[in-house]
Amino acid sequence: MSLLEVRELDAGYGDLQILTDVDLDVDSEEYVTIVGPNGAGKSTVMKSVFGLTTHMGGTVTFDGEDISGTKPEDVIHKGLGYVPQSDNVFAELDVEENLEMGAYILDEVPQEELRMVYDRFPILEERKHQRAGTLSGGQRQMLAMGRALMLDPELLLLDEPSAGLAPDLVDEMFDKIDDINASGTAVLMVEQNAKEALSRCDRGYVLANGQNRFEDEGTALLNDDEVRREFLGG
Amino acid sequence: MSVSETYVRYRQTLSEEPLAIVVLFVGLWMAWSLVSGLLNGGIQISGLASLVWDGLLRGLVIGLAGIGLSMTYSILNFANFAHGDYLTSGAFAGMATSYLIAGFGENSVGALLLVGAGGSVFGGALGIGVTTAPIAVLVGAIVAGVAAIVLALAIDRFVYRPIRDESGIALLITSIGVAFALRYLLQFVFGAGVRGTTDAGSVPRVSVPAIDGTFRVTAHDISLVVVAGGLMLGVHLLLQRTKLGKAMRAMSDNEDLARITGIPTEQVIRTTWIVGAGLTGVAGYMFILWKGTLGFNDGWLLLLLVFAAVILGGIGSIYGAIGGGIIIGLTASVSVIWIPSAFGRAAAFLVMIVILLFKPEGIFSGRTTA
Repeated sequence: MSLLEVRELDAGYGDLQILTDVDLDVDSEEYVTIVGPNGAGKSTVMKSVFGLTTHMGGTVTFDGEDISGTKPEDVIHKGLGYVPQSDNVFAELDVEENLEMGAYILDEVPQEELRMVYDRFPILEERKHQRAGTLSGGQRQMLAMGRALMLDPELLLLDEPSAGLAPDLVDEMFDKIDDINASGTAVLMVEQNAKEALSRCDRGYVLANGQNRFEDEGTALLNDDEVRREFLGG
Repeated sequence: MSVSETYVRYRQTLSEEPLAIVVLFVGLWMAWSLVSGLLNGGIQISGLASLVWDGLLRGLVIGLAGIGLSMTYSILNFANFAHGDYLTSGAFAGMATSYLIAGFGENSVGALLLVGAGGSVFGGALGIGVTTAPIAVLVGAIVAGVAAIVLALAIDRFVYRPIRDESGIALLITSIGVAFALRYLLQFVFGAGVRGTTDAGSVPRVSVPAIDGTFRVTAHDISLVVVAGGLMLGVHLLLQRTKLGKAMRAMSDNEDLARITGIPTEQVIRTTWIVGAGLTGVAGYMFILWKGTLGFNDGWLLLLLVFAAVILGGIGSIYGAIGGGIIIGLTASVSVIWIPSAFGRAAAFLVMIVILLFKPEGIFSGRTTA
């Protein structure tokens, strides 16, 4: 049984249905990427797992428990962490306060996890008393990931972590994600930068019009003629 | 620099910043009339000091009430027009308690609980004052805070919460309705008359020397400073040091992210009402104790100044509310040097408009609840 099992998921916003019969699995410690054209519903899959959309049918099972339609403030207790694409830090709070908020549901700020986040992203420790709103785009992204890692989740959902980053930072960001995955956290990532993402992940899904189109190992998708022609620009 | 260059520069400034020029000239005129008044004896330094002191105390009341308004605005995203009537409600509840404690046994309980409606009991006769009836005042202040909290939570539960997902305008108009309902309920119960609430004659006072005379500082002035200062410091520590306070700031910053992070939003909203309404209730009581009169309109009349202070300071910022409150209080009070006292409130709003023209986002902008 997979860590995350999405089965025949129908979801959307209000009356507007975006996803139809989406199936998706993420195993423990696996690194899975969702790629696809704009408007394919990639982010909607993430949001649906986290209870941020209107659930219309199908199931989302995490660690054997059905979490379909569970509210986001409850999903966080199950061992999932989510980094939205934008507005993913508390701009008015300083870096350390942002990380503390990441562990809000615990009674105490977990010092071990805080240490791990600082070791992983040393820039955050250097700037721990700086207001998050004054950080650069790359630093914000690191802070957002650090915040999500404060609960040491089993599965980390990343929505376009490379969006808006300078080209030289994109590689660094992907390296960090490799590290996080290597230390035992499963990753489900949505990426615009499809080639890079597929070359790094274990498995990938190609989504179009809110439906599954292809599913295979990342490198296999990269080498698939049809996927290349239709989704990767040749 | 040649004369012609200077001339061109001034012409440019004049055409680009006409407002700044007007403000500059008004400022110069005010400074000149103040200095000449002081020199020829038309204005006394002690009189000026007395006005500044009065304005500062008014400012503390406005600031304390403003914190609550600002907090509920930044976390619930609507301007609560009933806030002023929370203040009056707290003041009535607190003063009724003080009357009851000070006058129990000698007067009818009904008259005491109605804060002497229709002249049945007088605060002066009961000896209400921080030195003459300290327990009655202390308990009264606490009850004022608690009553405002209970009222705010009840109104939130039955009125605001069911429509929380509607637009800010719907909530705002609703809050105006709540304001009217509360105000006329208070009038119905306690009557429309303005009553004296304290034994003004027996309040200890000292005369502080100020060069050409003295100005008066009473025990109620000092109580107001201590209580307001203490509560402001308390809110600061709550927001900066405690987990719940940080969660309140986080939620006012980014509600969606707060939910994803697992912050229990309804609990934060409840805490916001508790803190905001508590401060407002106590502010109302201290205001009444300080000015010595109580009427059903007090909070409503103060509300516009509170709004001015909060907007001036940068809505959403508690430091903005405090700073804005003091500016508004000082302006309303000190402006009588230049204009008739009836225009004091107008002057306060004028200062607000002028400051907003130069800094439209408010003085402490860019910092929500922090």
